[in-house]
Amino acid sequence: MTSPDPVIRLENVYTAYEGADRPTLTDISLSIEKGEFVVIGGPNGAGKTTLLETINGMLPITHGKATVCGRDVRGDGVRVRCQVGYLLQNFAFDPLTPFTVEEVVLMGRYGTIGLFGKPGKEDYEAVQQALHLLGIEDLATRPIGQLSGGQQQKVLMAQNLARNPEILLLDEPFSNLDLFAREEINRLLAHLVGSGVTVLIVSHAFDDLPERPVRVVVMQDGKIVVARECSPGEVEQVVRSAGKGASHA
Amino acid sequence: MLEFIIPNNIVCHAVEAMLFASVACAILSVIITQVQISSIGFTMAHAAFAGAALGMFLSLNPTVCSIVAGISIAFLIGPLSDKARLSPDTSLGLLFGICMAVAIFFIAYMQTLGQGFSAMGLLFGDVISLYREEVYLLAAICIVAIVFILVLYKEITAIIFNKRIAESVGIRVKPVYYAMLFVIALTVALCLPIIGGLLLYVWLVTPAAIALQFCNRLSAIFVVAPAVAAVVSVTGALVGLEYSLPVAPLTAVLFSVVFIAAVILSPRRRVTFRKT
Repeated sequence: MTSPDPVIRLENVYTAYEGADRPTLTDISLSIEKGEFVVIGGPNGAGKTTLLETINGMLPITHGKATVCGRDVRGDGVRVRCQVGYLLQNFAFDPLTPFTVEEVVLMGRYGTIGLFGKPGKEDYEAVQQALHLLGIEDLATRPIGQLSGGQQQKVLMAQNLARNPEILLLDEPFSNLDLFAREEINRLLAHLVGSGVTVLIVSHAFDDLPERPVRVVVMQDGKIVVARECSPGEVEQVVRSAGKGASHA
Repeated sequence: MLEFIIPNNIVCHAVEAMLFASVACAILSVIITQVQISSIGFTMAHAAFAGAALGMFLSLNPTVCSIVAGISIAFLIGPLSDKARLSPDTSLGLLFGICMAVAIFFIAYMQTLGQGFSAMGLLFGDVISLYREEVYLLAAICIVAIVFILVLYKEITAIIFNKRIAESVGIRVKPVYYAMLFVIALTVALCLPIIGGLLLYVWLVTPAAIALQFCNRLSAIFVVAPAVAAVVSVTGALVGLEYSLPVAPLTAVLFSVVFIAAVILSPRRRVTFRKT
């Protein structure tokens, strides 16, 4: 059953990188409700990251219509990004540039503060809350360049949570995390989904998904080949069988 | 503006010009080094140099020509990389070579025509023959650089951290980035006559490099870099004029000495910041 106002609605969307001679995403149609937990699987180069960046308007839609949080992504991408958290798979920054953890997390609020605005009390409170949710308050004044990869990933997660997103797009969020940190993040994700945040996660690690109904979207060659609900324990099997089916097709 | 401290008009204008130019360049040096666009700054400095040389050859206003050339280059880099399918680094190398070739061609040609002396000012700078209006222009660009940082501080710092993350949090990265390039081009063009095309780069990198040796916060670097640049430049101007030494080259040497001293005295054992 689909509600009339899904939080993400893609209708026959095509996305192409600038200068590319063919679209990276082809004819994508997807409707996601508020508070859903969506796992996006598929082989490397299937278009999983491209799908996330199409949803938050970072990549141009060449055809079709995308509506996120009631906004047209094509014309209102910047505003969409103020409501959508996006944890990038690959993030690189100069570790010698002296940014503290607190400063980096505060950046998550910059879009909502606006072009000429200055951070206020509310913004600093949101930063403290995000640091608390990730359990990294003690790192607040540390330079981010001094932290481990896993700690940096948590800081960027906090940056996304600091703007109280309606949707959270996570691209390989477990890649730098140890087992304990994975469990922590999963508990956090379960809490966020429970409080109405829609979570889309690209991952190859299906062992520790939160115990709740999951929608699996499997991609292959820029297309969605499977999109269905299942239990967390079935996700890996669905992704594997979809991959086999696609390769035999 | 500083006549009440320095009664001699020539010295006063020279000190004022060096002060304003160094503060503007030093603020932008923080952006250039931290956004890691030093090769863009380098190419823009030489584009402004080529523009000024062309302007002098055509008897046009060299400052206006250098502004046009610097800004044109800033806006050419992106499209050239995209359309010619070249890496930005290759595009910059290409544009830098073209700018140098144009500048050297016109300077050499003017020398054969007997106009070599005025062209040499473009290479090494000239603080002696400044009009009051030129000093006012430098004061204006100094204010523009300060206001630019104050108004767009959060956007600039996010871009310094990571352009894609800045975009993902809802910052309009492209307009801010192009505004950065515009202000850099304008500053480079206006500072070119007093610092010189060959030395300008020292002003666009060294102040931030010095400040980085001592500062643990980006906001502190934005304050320390212009302060150091102001002290070094004013000292260079006063000593140069007192002992009849070329002011811009002397100041560039002073910058280098201060940088070496800063590295030696730096409390930051920066190697410990590197991830293994």
